[in-house]
Amino acid sequence: MAQYVINWLLLGCLYAAVGVGFSLIWGIMNIVNLAQGSLLIIGSYAAYWAYSVLHINLFVCVLVAMAALFVVGWLVQYVAINRVIRAPFLVTFMLTFGLDLLFSNLLQLWFTADYRSINSPLSDVGLTLLGARIPLLNALVAVFAVILTALLSVFLSRTRSGRAILAVGMDRDAARLMGIGLARTYALTFAIGAALAGAAGAMIAMVLPFSPSSTGQYTLFAFVIVALGGLGTPWAALAGGMTFAFAEVFAPLVSVGGFQVGYGLQVGIAFVMLVLVLILRPNGLLGKPFYS
Amino acid sequence: MAQSSAATEQPPARATRSDSRELRWSVGIGVAILAVIGLAPLTGNQATISFWTFIAMYIVLAQGWNFIGGFAGYPAFGNVAFFGIGAYTVALILERGLPYWLGLGLGLVIAAVFALVVGLPVLRLKGHYFAIATLGVAEALGEFAASKNVGGTAGEISLNPPPINYVESNNLFFYGFLVLALVVLLGTAWLSRSRMGYALVAIRENELAAEALGIPTFRYKVGAFVLSALPTAIAGGLFAYWQLAFDPVGEGGAFDPNISVIMILMAFLGGAGSILGPVLGGIIIEYLDQYTLVASPMLHGPLLGLLIVVVTIFLPQGLIRLTRELLRSPEGVKLQYSMRFKQGVRRVTRFIASNGV
Repeated sequence: MAQYVINWLLLGCLYAAVGVGFSLIWGIMNIVNLAQGSLLIIGSYAAYWAYSVLHINLFVCVLVAMAALFVVGWLVQYVAINRVIRAPFLVTFMLTFGLDLLFSNLLQLWFTADYRSINSPLSDVGLTLLGARIPLLNALVAVFAVILTALLSVFLSRTRSGRAILAVGMDRDAARLMGIGLARTYALTFAIGAALAGAAGAMIAMVLPFSPSSTGQYTLFAFVIVALGGLGTPWAALAGGMTFAFAEVFAPLVSVGGFQVGYGLQVGIAFVMLVLVLILRPNGLLGKPFYS
Repeated sequence: MAQSSAATEQPPARATRSDSRELRWSVGIGVAILAVIGLAPLTGNQATISFWTFIAMYIVLAQGWNFIGGFAGYPAFGNVAFFGIGAYTVALILERGLPYWLGLGLGLVIAAVFALVVGLPVLRLKGHYFAIATLGVAEALGEFAASKNVGGTAGEISLNPPPINYVESNNLFFYGFLVLALVVLLGTAWLSRSRMGYALVAIRENELAAEALGIPTFRYKVGAFVLSALPTAIAGGLFAYWQLAFDPVGEGGAFDPNISVIMILMAFLGGAGSILGPVLGGIIIEYLDQYTLVASPMLHGPLLGLLIVVVTIFLPQGLIRLTRELLRSPEGVKLQYSMRFKQGVRRVTRFIASNGV
């Protein structure tokens, strides 16, 4: 049982990282970014490439992925999404889905559909606590995910750019009247969201196998995580990540009369939870009506 | 956000004389297009017939989505669930040696009941949440079929071919899809002039106002959801016995989420909420899709993605509405696009001026 609890906590932190960038973009720009999974897997490949070709330190690879995705995110926002930012949401939905299809297929062309993962000397290191094994990398990833969430929270509330982002999220027309450049702020928001996806992708590359076909799955996860947690703060993504990981880790244990009900149905169970949460608490577990 | 008018923003519907003229033209053109497609078997080329069978199938799917997504403005992202239910019901029935028509009928009933049961909670959600909840339902069904070995190992279906020769059955399924498309076309035309159709448009334009006017919005929304499930489930049933072998998930699977998105793209390109839109969009998108698939399987995915991006950025109103605007004032549309072009050029020059190249 201790092993399950450990798995749950570690996976929950990783899922928080998956959700946090998505939550920023959704909360500020009112865009559900269906390309988030692609951005995340691009981050995985960036880290993989930096580690296996350039032989950079494993943890610097995360920063490489973040920097690369920051640039990609800025460009995507400037070239494509800024054109439809005021359109009905189905338009942005379709647009980001198209981008997702484009990116994931290009990834498949360049890197083939093979599953990959970063194999480092640290992969097998771990310690044992109360009879439960804690892999070192997973623990580091979990800690880093929490640090990223905290950093985002501090950035948003303490820095000039961060406050500009929040102001645009609250009321874009009023923010514009206060002299905040909308296009630039949106580009910055999307770039940060993409960079966070890059970090999450790099962390996934360290602990899980990934391939271009994983993109849709992670977009879906990000949505469920963020909708469960709510849009209010970066910390809501952590709550959502924990809840989602709970379903994924413990669902396979549920059995009725020897029939393993939950096994293989993690996504289904997560969605049932999602619908229930949305009906009972429309703003999510920790959500507020606006991003703050 | 005041985004209840999600799918399209059209002037309020009123049955004026020009409206009923447009209705007659839409139905006439739609029937004519389907009749021309119906000539495909004259070529005698089985590949051509299959090509147009796929197009007819996607027309039906786009028309089905149009009820909930186009008329009611609720962006369902999981309509492939009904398609998969239709396909799997037929497969399970045929595997037990029962007649095909029973599978089609049962699939229809199960999909309708499923739409009702799922619609009751899910249609209380709005906007993004509704979209993702429907997507999740479809994903969960695919996952269920795959992990619980529905109909075969990992949900992979393999049926015995129908007891007629290949050419005959290919033609039969072609006409099956085509007749279905025709029926749904006429049904859509009827709906657009019915009490329910007007109620759905009212919901799309402003749900709160519709509710305040005494329209039982929730009942109509559920009705539209069930209505969109019906043709989709039959299309799934036809697809199952036509293809004979299919997977639950992954590309070309009966629960492949891309199918949901492609049907939306079709309705969207043609014009969501119109009679002719899904037909036009279905033909254009599926033609391009299959053409690129044959021409270069490697580039098929990226090209489809690019197509979606270009359509949503440059044609968000859809072909039907663009035609309507063009007929009304060609100058206005020209001006609109040249303005957009000039703005783009200006933005690029400004970007280069401030950042350098």
